[in-house]
Amino acid sequence: MPALRASSAPRLRSFILLVMVEEPRTLLLGATAACISRYGIAKTTIENVARQAGLSRATVYRYFPGGREQVIGECITWEVGRFFVRLAEHVEDTGDFAARLEKALRFAHRAVAEHELLQKVLETEPERLLPQLTVSGPLVVAVVRDYLEPLLAEEDLRQGITAASAADWLARMVLSFIVGQGSWDLTDPASVHRLVNEHLLAGVLAPGRPPVETDVTQ
Amino acid sequence: MGPALLDIVEERADHPDATVGVDRLRDRLLEASVVSVARVGVAKTTVAEVAKLAGCSRATAYRVFSGKHGLLAAAASRELTSFEVRLGRRLDRAPTLEEALVIAVVESYRELAGHRALQFVLRNEPGVVLPFFGFHHTDEIYAAVGRFAVSRLSRFLEPTPAAWAGEWVARTVLSHLFHPGDDVRLGHQPDARRLVIHYLMPALMAADGTMSAPTSSSPNP
Repeated sequence: MPALRASSAPRLRSFILLVMVEEPRTLLLGATAACISRYGIAKTTIENVARQAGLSRATVYRYFPGGREQVIGECITWEVGRFFVRLAEHVEDTGDFAARLEKALRFAHRAVAEHELLQKVLETEPERLLPQLTVSGPLVVAVVRDYLEPLLAEEDLRQGITAASAADWLARMVLSFIVGQGSWDLTDPASVHRLVNEHLLAGVLAPGRPPVETDVTQ
Repeated sequence: MGPALLDIVEERADHPDATVGVDRLRDRLLEASVVSVARVGVAKTTVAEVAKLAGCSRATAYRVFSGKHGLLAAAASRELTSFEVRLGRRLDRAPTLEEALVIAVVESYRELAGHRALQFVLRNEPGVVLPFFGFHHTDEIYAAVGRFAVSRLSRFLEPTPAAWAGEWVARTVLSHLFHPGDDVRLGHQPDARRLVIHYLMPALMAADGTMSAPTSSSPNP
C-alpha cells in the first residue's frame, strides 16, 4: 500500500467520501472485515473475500489489483475512517471546544475498548495490524488536524498560539490518547475533564474563560 | 541515581574480578547484535554471525545467552539503559526546568530517530517492533518514563506534574517518530522549545499561576 503523505490529506468531508464509496468496493471492504473477524488477517485471502462478498475473484482483483495486501490494507484504513466519522458525529452538536474534546476522548476510549475486531486482532496478530495503522497514521493526524483547526480559529487562543499549530499538537495528542490512556482514566468524566482543561488546553485557550459545566452524565 | 544505574552498579558488584572477562564478552556480544540488526535486521541476525562479530565461538555465545531471543532482548535492554544513563546525566546538569524538558524532547527524539538498528527494523520489519509500541504497551512506556521523570526532575517539580511532564514528552516524541510532520522537527531545538513552552509549561503551573516546585512551604498540587 503506498505511503499516504500528510500534505496530500483531504479534508474530513473528502475522507468521508473516500470511506463511503459506492458498491461493490464497499461491499468488498466489508467482506474483508468479516473475513478478518472470522479467520484473522493471516488467513484472509482473495478467495474467501470473494466468497464472502458473493463476487468472483476476478471482480475482486479488478477493484484491488494489488491483491490480498491491498484489500487488507484498504480495509484497515476504511475501518479507521469509519471510526473517525462516528467520532465526529458523536461530538457534532457540542458547543464548547473543551467539552467537545472531553466527549471525544471518552467516546473514543470506549469505542476502542468495545471494538471486538480490533481487540481480537491486537491480541492474536498485532504484528499484522500495527504496521498498517502506522502507514495510515500521518493521514489520520492530518484529518483530525483539519477538523480541529477551524474550531480552534473560533476560540480565544493564548498569546503566540496559532490555530494551525495548536490543531497539529492536539490532533497528535487525541490520537495518542486513543491508542493509550496512560496515567489517566478515560472512563472517568472527572479525570477526562482535568486532562482536557488543566493539561491539554492549558496552553491553548486564553485564561479567564467563564467556567462551563460539563455534562458528566454523557 | 536512577534505578537503571543502580542495577548496573549492583551487577558489577556481583561479578568480581575473576568474571570481568565474561562481563566484557557479554558487552561485546550485545554490541555486535545491535550492529548486526542495524545491517541486516532481526530476521537475518543469527547467533553465529553475532558471535563472529564479537570475536568468540558460537558455543561461547550460547553459553552467555540462551539463544537469539535472549540475546536480542538483553541488547534492547542495554540500549535503553545506556540511553537512560546518558539522558539522566544531561538532565542533572540542566539549569532550568525549561532546559531540562527541551533536552528530554530533543535527545529522546534524536536517539530514537537516529538509532540505526531501531530504524532498520521499523522500516523493514515493523511487525517485529511495533507491538512494543502498540495500544496496551504504551501505558507501560508512559509509566516507566513518568517514573524516570519524577526522579530526574525532582528539584523542579512535585511528583504528579513531573509524571505528566514525562508522559507528555513520551507521547510527543512517539507521535513525531511514527508520524513525522512538515512543520515541527523535534530534533531541532527551537521547534522542541516552542512545543515545551506553549503546550507543556502552562500545564505544569499550579492553579494559582506559580510553578508547582517542591519547596518545603509549597502545597501539594
